[in-house]
Amino acid sequence: MKKILLIATALVFSFGVSKSFADGHGPEVYGPYPITLKGYDGDKTNSVKYTGQMARQVLHDSLKKLVKTGDLEKMMAYYNGEDGLEIIAPKSKDGFPVMQTMVSEIGSGNLSGKMYKGAIPGWGGLTGPETLEHMMQKASEVEGGFDPDTGFDYTQLISKFAMGAVFYNQAVNNYLGKKMKIGEKPNNKPYKDGAYYTGKEHSWDEAFGYWGAPAHSLTLSAEENYNVAKMKDLAAADYNGDGVVDLYSEMLYAHAYYASSYDKGGKTNYLATVNQAFIDGRKVIRDAGGRNLNFEERTEMLAARDTIRENWQKVIAESVFKYAGSTYKDIVALETIMEANGDTTDAFRKYAKHWGELKGFALALQCGPENLGEAAVKMNRMMGFGPVLLNASQVVGVQSNGNFIKDQAQDWGEFKLHMLKIQKLMVDEFGVTARANDQLSAMEDLASTMGSSDSAEND
Amino acid sequence: MEIFSEYLIKIGNQFIDPKKRVFVAYIAISIIIALGWFILNRKLSLKKAIKKIFDKKIFFSKSAKSDYKIFFINQLIMMIVSPLLITQLTIATALYFYFHSIDWLSVGMFKNTLPIIVIICFTSFQFTLDDFSKYIIHRFMHRWPILWSLHKVHHSATVLTPMTVFRTHPLEGIIFSLRSSLTQAVSISSFIFLFGNSVDLLTILGVNIFVFLFNIFGSNLRHSHIGIRYWRWVEYIFISPAQHQLHHSIASEHHDKNFGAALAVWDWLFGSLHHSVEYETLELGIEKNQKDETHNLKDLYINPFIEIKNYILRRLKKLRNKAYSINIKRRIFHEN
Ligand SMILES: [Zn+2]
Ligand SMILES: [Zn+2]
Repeated sequence: MKKILLIATALVFSFGVSKSFADGHGPEVYGPYPITLKGYDGDKTNSVKYTGQMARQVLHDSLKKLVKTGDLEKMMAYYNGEDGLEIIAPKSKDGFPVMQTMVSEIGSGNLSGKMYKGAIPGWGGLTGPETLEHMMQKASEVEGGFDPDTGFDYTQLISKFAMGAVFYNQAVNNYLGKKMKIGEKPNNKPYKDGAYYTGKEHSWDEAFGYWGAPAHSLTLSAEENYNVAKMKDLAAADYNGDGVVDLYSEMLYAHAYYASSYDKGGKTNYLATVNQAFIDGRKVIRDAGGRNLNFEERTEMLAARDTIRENWQKVIAESVFKYAGSTYKDIVALETIMEANGDTTDAFRKYAKHWGELKGFALALQCGPENLGEAAVKMNRMMGFGPVLLNASQVVGVQSNGNFIKDQAQDWGEFKLHMLKIQKLMVDEFGVTARANDQLSAMEDLASTMGSSDSAEND
Repeated sequence: MEIFSEYLIKIGNQFIDPKKRVFVAYIAISIIIALGWFILNRKLSLKKAIKKIFDKKIFFSKSAKSDYKIFFINQLIMMIVSPLLITQLTIATALYFYFHSIDWLSVGMFKNTLPIIVIICFTSFQFTLDDFSKYIIHRFMHRWPILWSLHKVHHSATVLTPMTVFRTHPLEGIIFSLRSSLTQAVSISSFIFLFGNSVDLLTILGVNIFVFLFNIFGSNLRHSHIGIRYWRWVEYIFISPAQHQLHHSIASEHHDKNFGAALAVWDWLFGSLHHSVEYETLELGIEKNQKDETHNLKDLYINPFIEIKNYILRRLKKLRNKAYSINIKRRIFHEN
């Protein structure tokens, strides 16, 4: 008996040591983490599960592809997460085979039930679900998801807004917000009856799923992460080496993808920062061993939570910054073509696409936990309800029957300037640093070359 | 502790940064020029020339000593104040935004201009604008009683050393710093707006090439006892050291002359040019100072404030008297 106890102690001890050894060295992987739920007697060994979130990631990717077809019924099927849906994206391609072909092979879930419920001021004050459904309805009425009459690129609008209204909203407001409160989803109880994971464990895992990074993301560089999303680097994606990419745990989606796109520029480290914070917070929960978190543990977990929220918000703000810059450049190009009486078709299409991304990300940014107040009001007003059109008109609102209201547009010069002001707003309010498509960087560089005179000299 | 090391770095930088006037290499070149001047022009022996340049009476005079102290104090003050001042980038951004609202301007109008031309234009424009703004501000410093109270600190020097460049009231330093930000902002924003991203500064050791040349040609000698004079025709274009020394002269016929920094053309254009005279005939400083020889730091820093206060009070009193007399006139008029 004594002997057994000794061996058990030694085992526990060595386990503990090797575990902490693993924790302290090299890049970490999200999970597996042991079952900590007290009184669990099933045969599960890993408490991590975020299948519903990854199912939603592919629902979103698929829905984005569907917008172009204008098939409202199909869009709604993916939006509502109906049974028997094929994965439209990401799909296997040469040199990048994926494991699943049906959404149900990953998990179950829908987008419609997880939408941000509040009003969307940038889209006529419709609620979150109303906004997305309105966009899909309108997309079904035009060719290829694009309406030249209003300048709305629904592929971009729907995709980016859904990223904010579902993924960002669910993660930061619900799972890392409401469910991290004391008394909500306690750690000494299963997440729901019959579950093998605790309330806090599962809430945290779900948030990680919405972030959209593969579990082994930290073992990869920003560039490699980026190439996983682009389906260009099988070796980087296939962490377990089985020759196929598991869409549940080995793929990079949505927000994490945008983070990688900024990080590969070398100025930021959003992806790894957020991934690490997810792991740090999850380990605090693991180490609590199935009891409620004490004050110190909670503080540590919430610190990780705040890191996630802050950086996630910045990633979205970086996108607003980037696409405001692209839109600015597109307007300059359009002006040149118009002056020369050239054909504006392609340039206008490009402009509408970038504006759509700008608008979508701006709406997404407003689905976070804090009311952005004046910054949101300014941002919405400056980019407009719709883009300024070539005939100097612009969508300014939406009627109760869902039709758009058009009016005389802002002046082109003013609208162009607004793009710069949006960039400045993102710097001032959110401290974005990757600053893709920075329209003011040339001035900044020049100013720093010249330096300032601050030594009180008298010529 | 951190502030202290930052301060030491800032002090050290003044001597090792080619952007600064008293960068050691510029000082060294100035010494060589001075040697050349004494040996070739004044036919002195090398030994005598050296003795003349490193004149103890000058460098250890009361006036020079207060220059040194002011340098150390001002560096500290500016270190604290300058982060609070509006930066050239903030102004440039506002201007750049403003240009968008001007109808007959469009962004990148001349973006197809050959980059080398853009760079040459930008570098000369920046230098010229900077120099001109120095001239204008300097003129105002002498014209406006409030500003003169500040600028007088610089003119109170009774000997000139390269460190006299730092003998500046901190408030005046702030004005200069804002002037520099504003001119940089104007040139940066307008050039980037019109020419796009190819705008750059032509530099040597990271310094605007013209500023570099100005310094290489002995900019430090303007504040020194070495009265180098240029040919008469050159003094219409560039300010010679002796011309700036004349600017510091106590003689009333030299007052309000030679405000220019590097270029003399502004003085020539606006009628304030005075050709150089022999240094030995000049007496430097301002009258009050000359009489009681005070280089006391407290006076130098505080007196401008007292003078400004008194000036404002005097003006208010005058204004009140005027209003009073108008009132009386009115009453008399009504009674009639
Ligand atoms: Zn001077
Ligand atoms: Zn003066």
